[in-house]
Amino acid sequence: MDFGYIAQQLANGLILGSMYALVAIGFSMIYGIVRLINFAHGDIVMIGAFTTLVLMETAGLPFPLVAFFVLLTGCGMGILIERISFRPMRGAPQVTGFIASLGISIMLQNLGILTLSAQPRNFSFPSYMQRILNLGPVSFRVVDVVIILTAFFLMVALIFLVQKTKLGIAMRATAENIDVARLMGIDINKTIMATFAIGSGLAAIAGLMWGGKFGQIDPLMGYVPGLKSFVAAVIGGVGSIPGAILGAFILGLSEVLFVGLLPPIYSSYRDAFVFGVLIIILIAMPNGLLGKDIGDKA
Amino acid sequence: MESNRPRYCLGLLIMFMVVFSLGIERTANDYILAIVSFTGINIILAVSLNVTNGFAGLFSLGHPAFMAIGGYTTALLTFSMEKKPLFLPDLPQWLIPVHLPFFPALLVGGCFAALVAQIVGISVLRLKGHYLAVATMGFLIIVQVLLNNANSITRGPLGLNGLEEFTNVSWVAGWVVVTIYTCWKIKFSSLGRSMLAVKEDSMAANSLGVDLFYTRNFALTVGAFFAGVAGGLWGHLITAVTPGSFSLIMSFNIIVMVVVGGTGSITGSVTAAIIFTLAIECFRPLEENFGIYGVGEIVISLVLILILIFKPSGMFGTGEPKFVTGKYKQLSPTNGK
Amino acid sequence: MKKCFITIGLFFMSLPLATPCFSAEPIKIGALYSLTGGMSSIDTPSLRGAELAVKIINKNGGLLDGRMIELISVDAKTDQKAAAIGAKKLLSNGVIAGIGHSDPSFVLPSAPLFQKKGIPFVTSGATLPTLPMMIGDCLFMVPFGDDDQSFAIADYSFKSLGVKNVAIWTDNSMDFTKTLSKFYKQRMTELGAKIVLEDFFMMGDKDFSAQIARLKNVSPQPDAVFISSIPNEAGLTTKQLRENGLTLPIVSGDGFDTELIVTVPGKELANDVYFSTHTYRADPRPEVIQFIADYEKEYGVPPENAFAPLGYDAIALIADAITRAGSATPKALKESLAKTMGFKAVTGEISYTRPSRVPVKGVSIISVKKGEYNVEEIWFPTTK
Repeated sequence: MDFGYIAQQLANGLILGSMYALVAIGFSMIYGIVRLINFAHGDIVMIGAFTTLVLMETAGLPFPLVAFFVLLTGCGMGILIERISFRPMRGAPQVTGFIASLGISIMLQNLGILTLSAQPRNFSFPSYMQRILNLGPVSFRVVDVVIILTAFFLMVALIFLVQKTKLGIAMRATAENIDVARLMGIDINKTIMATFAIGSGLAAIAGLMWGGKFGQIDPLMGYVPGLKSFVAAVIGGVGSIPGAILGAFILGLSEVLFVGLLPPIYSSYRDAFVFGVLIIILIAMPNGLLGKDIGDKA
Repeated sequence: MESNRPRYCLGLLIMFMVVFSLGIERTANDYILAIVSFTGINIILAVSLNVTNGFAGLFSLGHPAFMAIGGYTTALLTFSMEKKPLFLPDLPQWLIPVHLPFFPALLVGGCFAALVAQIVGISVLRLKGHYLAVATMGFLIIVQVLLNNANSITRGPLGLNGLEEFTNVSWVAGWVVVTIYTCWKIKFSSLGRSMLAVKEDSMAANSLGVDLFYTRNFALTVGAFFAGVAGGLWGHLITAVTPGSFSLIMSFNIIVMVVVGGTGSITGSVTAAIIFTLAIECFRPLEENFGIYGVGEIVISLVLILILIFKPSGMFGTGEPKFVTGKYKQLSPTNGK
Repeated sequence: MKKCFITIGLFFMSLPLATPCFSAEPIKIGALYSLTGGMSSIDTPSLRGAELAVKIINKNGGLLDGRMIELISVDAKTDQKAAAIGAKKLLSNGVIAGIGHSDPSFVLPSAPLFQKKGIPFVTSGATLPTLPMMIGDCLFMVPFGDDDQSFAIADYSFKSLGVKNVAIWTDNSMDFTKTLSKFYKQRMTELGAKIVLEDFFMMGDKDFSAQIARLKNVSPQPDAVFISSIPNEAGLTTKQLRENGLTLPIVSGDGFDTELIVTVPGKELANDVYFSTHTYRADPRPEVIQFIADYEKEYGVPPENAFAPLGYDAIALIADAITRAGSATPKALKESLAKTMGFKAVTGEISYTRPSRVPVKGVSIISVKKGEYNVEEIWFPTTK
């Protein structure tokens, strides 16, 4: 095991982590502000991927325009889901929203199988995204760089949004105490709707990237990203956006390094190991890496 | 207790179960019997998860893990001696002569699941809310991975098959009664009230002298015991167990039953378990006649969302309906957080 | 609320009563496939193939002097519980045979129920060679066993590709893939090749960068990599291996029999891939050409994967056995199925002559060069 090999595996872990991070940012944002574990987040990733496929293959739109429309579709789905199902449930126990999001997820998956068929489809990105770059012993592709840059750009933009803008202040106030925020004249409905729109728009963009990186999409593809972003967000700490990114990188790195650095026979224990590490992190830091104590609410 | 109504209800339940299971085993075909048995197993699962999730407020996603432990243990214990060398050639030496009849095997399975729950509880029960959910989900995945890789005992992803078909409606009915009775007794005991107190406000409960850790661990263990038994019944009903069956999806399904019924309400869990198991079967003819597979799931999830919108605390809230409790007043607030 | 559920329930339960009646009593055959959930991409084409076969047989006047076949399909939902309930549902509907499943973990909870009632069950896609032994004399397989397909590709990679050092990647979360690797390893070792690396992944994995990095660093470098996976990972692994500059031959079994290995990496990169599969793809036999034409006419798309003709063959096999037996009772059907000799199925000739009752069938070795599929040879098992 030489230096080049380890460097390559580290790079692989970072790339996978940034893929998870891209999905986890939106998840963590909704989680932080509405305190909702939104399992339908992964299925918005799926919708984003299929929207991209339709726009690129059939409509043949140029790539930046496709990305813009995908973002819009995601925002629209987020608003729709919030308006129809989560808004009427506001004030109910947290687990209610979680179950409702599971319901939405199952619904979207089965609708996907019914209308799109369960066959996986190939998904091809423009060829300049697929080019291989070499940096010393490490090789990666243009799309990987784009994913990492997008993830970091979105993180910075979101932190700016939440910390500096008026909407962000309204969001934080809503997250802190919904009733007091309302008394202060904040339009709660608008704020939460904006949160869902932004979070889901990011999920749709993540779907575009996910399809582009792996080249294959199907109606059930949302399950894995949904689950991983949930884990990443919790590890990072409830509602902390940098925490979610950190959690995603820890997840991606530990998955790759566990497979890459130990003898191959242990590969099939990967998930057990990864979750073992996560449990240990949580036991040592019961509020996640960067989270605050949320008190006794559950 | 102020009213004798719960006792009458229990008597009625037992009588109903006896008549029902004897009656249906004579008249119905295998398909109906299978649905009825699975409904019963789902009742056991929902009611027992209600102890963990509903009474003590522990958001556990690990219920199928305890089922898997119970299911595999029971399956190994009852595995026919003639088939063992053929089906499980690599079984460790000490396991080869071990063999038990069905009922003791079920108990051992349940107890083993409870024992594992104790160990798991020691490590993860200091976590709260969603953190606990992730930790128990991790536990479920770890159990699945171990079952997948312990080839000599579990045969890996293929699982154990060729189990005797011991489970029938009477067995399930019996365990349903035991589960409901036990959980009811727990709910209205001082321990059950401690659990509710821990769920409502753990700090206040602690200051009143409730041992938080003991209470939570007990709730997890009771849930795990019945999940283990349900796993044993499940395995001997479909005559096979595989790691893939005890998945996160199953865990979601049980949680849906608990939440729709009303977190903390035993009557609610029972009702929701019945409705959900039957509803899925009711949609089969529609799907099969029109070739639109998956519509059942779509409609059911729509109904689920509607129920949650119009009755966010579930069908029965935290309490039990008046017709079961009589005039007896609820100690817990009807709408828990 | 409850009343509403009951009303809806009763309404749907009464639906099957409204199905049309035939003049002669129909022959009922049950189909158990996972049409929703993770297996649906594999199982749905099988059901479509089976439905096509039924339609063609009925259009040509049915079996046994005009008795129509009625295919009753039940969704196994990629769930063992649903598979068991579905089997019981079919049995209480009075089917004389069942078909279904592409994975042994779903055959195991449902087929024993058929066995107990003495009703034959024909699995269209499960290739575990020990299945007939585990279940009993009512289980029949349409496909070859995993041992045959592994031996076929092992012989080909050793003799024709000249592979002396091989790396093996296995999906460790499925029995099918583990069995496939086990037999491949066994045959390659017997032939005298060296296994230089064994690596594992899990079903649903999307990223193989860790395994690829290890493959690049192993010494001696392998002459080929054997990838034991189902179709969902076939395209992904091919794409990622080729994109990382590894040009060594990729060999596999029928899990690679999918368009995805060309469409996902693109024609340029889909090169030097060899897999053993059911004799069907790129095969010029008239049965095959007829089947593909019929399938396209019926559904508007070519068969999605090899599981479509396998589903078709399951029905055709049963129909042939019924005709030979001259009767549609389960007992006669079972005996006549067991005597099947040289039945010309779309996926090759089927004969049940082995003691293990795994069909003796030819195995196609298919090469993919720049996106073009070609049959290299047809391999036959030596133990007749």
